[in-house]
Amino acid sequence: MADQGGSQHGIARTSRVRTEAQRQSDLDRIQKYKDLESQLRSLVQSQGADPQEIYTLTTRLLRLNPEYYTVWNVRRRALISGLFSRPSPGSSCSKASSSFSASDTTTTSTAASSPSSSTAATRPSPPSPTAGRSGTTLDNNTPSENENKEKEKNEEEDLKLLETELNFTIPLLLESPKCYWIWSYRLWLLRQAIERLSVAAAKRIWEAELKLAGKMLSKDPRNFHAWGYRRHVVETLESKALNGTSLVEQEFAYTTRMIESKLSNFSAWHSRSKLIPRLLDERGADENARRGFLDQELGYIRRALNVGPEDQSLWYYHQFLVLNIVSPVGHPTIVPGFSLEDRVTYMTRELEEMKDLLEDYDDEKLIYEALLEYTLYLCGLEGRKPEPEERDDLVKWLTKLKELDPMRNGRWADLERDQALTELLPGVEQGGIPILQR
Amino acid sequence: MESLADTLWDVVICGTGLQQSLLALALSRSDKKILHIDPHSFYGGGEAAFSLQEAESWVGEVAAGTEGSFTDASITKPDGSTGLSFPRAYSLALAPQMIHARSELLSQLVSSRAYRQVEFLAVGSFFIFKPSTDPSQKPELVRIPSTREAVFATTAITSKAKRGLMKFLKFVMDYNSETRSETWKPYADVPLTEFLFKEFKMDQELQTYIITLTLSLDGKISTRDGLAAISRHLSSMGVYGVGFAALYPKWGGLSEIAQVSCRAGAVGGTVYMLGTGIKEMNTIEDTIELQLTSGDTIKTKKLVKGDQGFPGVGISRLVAVINSPLKSLFEPTVEGAPIPAVAALAFPPGLLSDADGKVSENPTYLFAHSSDTGECPSGQSVLYLTTQYAPGSMVLLQKALDFFLEAAADDSTPKCLYQLRYDQRGSDETPASKDASVFHLQSPSPSLAFNDSALESVREAWKAVMGDTAVDAEYMTFTDREGAMGDDDDVYD
Repeated sequence: MADQGGSQHGIARTSRVRTEAQRQSDLDRIQKYKDLESQLRSLVQSQGADPQEIYTLTTRLLRLNPEYYTVWNVRRRALISGLFSRPSPGSSCSKASSSFSASDTTTTSTAASSPSSSTAATRPSPPSPTAGRSGTTLDNNTPSENENKEKEKNEEEDLKLLETELNFTIPLLLESPKCYWIWSYRLWLLRQAIERLSVAAAKRIWEAELKLAGKMLSKDPRNFHAWGYRRHVVETLESKALNGTSLVEQEFAYTTRMIESKLSNFSAWHSRSKLIPRLLDERGADENARRGFLDQELGYIRRALNVGPEDQSLWYYHQFLVLNIVSPVGHPTIVPGFSLEDRVTYMTRELEEMKDLLEDYDDEKLIYEALLEYTLYLCGLEGRKPEPEERDDLVKWLTKLKELDPMRNGRWADLERDQALTELLPGVEQGGIPILQR
Repeated sequence: MESLADTLWDVVICGTGLQQSLLALALSRSDKKILHIDPHSFYGGGEAAFSLQEAESWVGEVAAGTEGSFTDASITKPDGSTGLSFPRAYSLALAPQMIHARSELLSQLVSSRAYRQVEFLAVGSFFIFKPSTDPSQKPELVRIPSTREAVFATTAITSKAKRGLMKFLKFVMDYNSETRSETWKPYADVPLTEFLFKEFKMDQELQTYIITLTLSLDGKISTRDGLAAISRHLSSMGVYGVGFAALYPKWGGLSEIAQVSCRAGAVGGTVYMLGTGIKEMNTIEDTIELQLTSGDTIKTKKLVKGDQGFPGVGISRLVAVINSPLKSLFEPTVEGAPIPAVAALAFPPGLLSDADGKVSENPTYLFAHSSDTGECPSGQSVLYLTTQYAPGSMVLLQKALDFFLEAAADDSTPKCLYQLRYDQRGSDETPASKDASVFHLQSPSPSLAFNDSALESVREAWKAVMGDTAVDAEYMTFTDREGAMGDDDDVYD
């Protein structure tokens, strides 16, 4: 906005006249915004204000400033106090403590709280003129049939309202995708869906939400907020409240798709690792199936390391699998039935594979680091010190590391010194992992 | 209102090919009086796109020898008109070049705001044609991986070979650094294949993958040019979206850009006359007097003409319409990628033989365009086959088409409904412009991906026309005209 004057990069600035007009138009916009705000403020403070009016004002204000969280709360209260078909149990309107002025706390909450304290006896009029509820003729139906009809109608209207509200947030999200208040409002709407709608209708809404989370992750596959959001949506979809079933296979397949779209996606690999225990449990995988699965995953990550040995997220996943083999204590293992011999076999094989990588990627420090660690794991497994041949290797690799990663020379020096010791580091038992200093 | 003859024009631009049209765009905000003429009745010149009817007339013009570098054009309809939709349902491009995301052309289209009028589609995978070793099997189209994820996913390359490929791709990303330059500069002017073999131990198959990415017409692209081409490809990946490195303008490739540029010129006050050429030219002191075929005689300070020739041998092309949507060629390969509208396929050297049985030493390329390009009705596809010109190269293109149809067959082999054939021959003669007021735009040799060097000549022409008032930093840099974008004020109402 600021008129920087002069020329920029050799391009002469256009005339000042336009800037002045721009400035004036901005002043107008600021005034309009302030007017809206004071309008809303006075409405909220007044008694018996029409929730519909308040609601409409919040729409305009939020379009201009979605970060104004007080206004989101006002909108929520307006919905609860007037626009939803009946007050929700354990209404959240009372917890909306923010208001425009501290002294008005009582007045603002009274307007909203009166319907919630009563039961469904008094029903305020619906928001849209077209949703006019025709007077039900009670003559021909039984009381319970009427109740069901009312319930269905309520749900239908609530559904429409929730969908309108969800759609309202979309353009705001497109503009401000990281605004917490918008997301928080969405989550509130989603919870309202569970409370107010039939399980089938609520489920549909949450499934649509999963698609939205997917779209967000398509746009930015490494957005860890989005991954967290997705996990929350999946959890809810799996819950009793939505008659849920396990989505673990689908989610596992999703991590595969994300990885194939971008190998270096730490969140995807991480999610994958978190899903494995439940995945195997639900498959009812026996020892053989579990071994097969482990072999597959190892093959998969090795294929990835084959093309991306410089990628830390890949090494983390490889290490996750290796630790799963080497240290069976304290967390769910992929193959609980592994004997010590099996573990040694697997460890040895991984070491061979890593050494093979070195043949073509002899400049990649992460390979040397992994080789160091895994050699020590293997020694730890077998409860022994490194053999002379292994010692030579360790020295060779440490030398390379000092060359490739001189910033961590302190660490390499420590490791060197430790390996010169004849005992393993304290705190290690036979069959466990040597604790490496970090 | 002044008549044509009364105006002293600042510049007359002859021809609405891509370069001339870009010049019109570049001049569209200047206060120069510009007359833009074209002897054809359509825009686009040598980069035009044709309906079936327009293609027929054009073939006639080529036969009459009035189409510059184009020769030996002909049309065949194997089944008469069966299967063909109405003529205007087609828009066959003379210049189906793909435009890399990092291309200077796109930057200029963006900075000049002309991009708003062009709809761009994604160019998807590059393939290599692999003949089958087993006669009962049909030939394969192998996808060329050019990203880490693609290399990870492909099953066509061994584990060891993948490492070599990855190391090369990493090398290219940084190839102009000091250390890397030391490695390739000794090979700068020898074929890239040699460099790949000696420095990266790549076997012939891998070499073919890399050369295909460069779209080299003789397969012998130098290391210097080859690395530049691959670098452009790699750095263009993902720029405008996941999974693709190049774009293609809908409705006929470069012709669309020419049209949009002329439109911008017209909005800026340039006068357009199609179906008008230059009959005679006389220079009187600083002014050129032109007698136009329309009968008008006009005076102008400068004249800009397109180049009639280009260096090199040229190309042979076969444009084929087939009755299949070729869905498997246009699948996005990664999550979130758009559906591509163009697929590129290479027949490596040594695969196709001409009528005398002589095996071709050059690759042959096939660009498949889905109906999303607007170049044919849905259910059909347009194939653009190109190979370096040589006598008998048309036979190679026919063979390539037949092989392709075999490989693309699902339940039935797709049929060819229509063929347009022509050669585009280079010439070494560049018209000597003794006249300071006549500017000849110079075109590079035909290529399959847009060559940014074509833009240099346009810029030179612009400088010549603008003279002292030319401000380099303002070249092709405009703001949107008023009313071009909606205001957001309604939110406040």
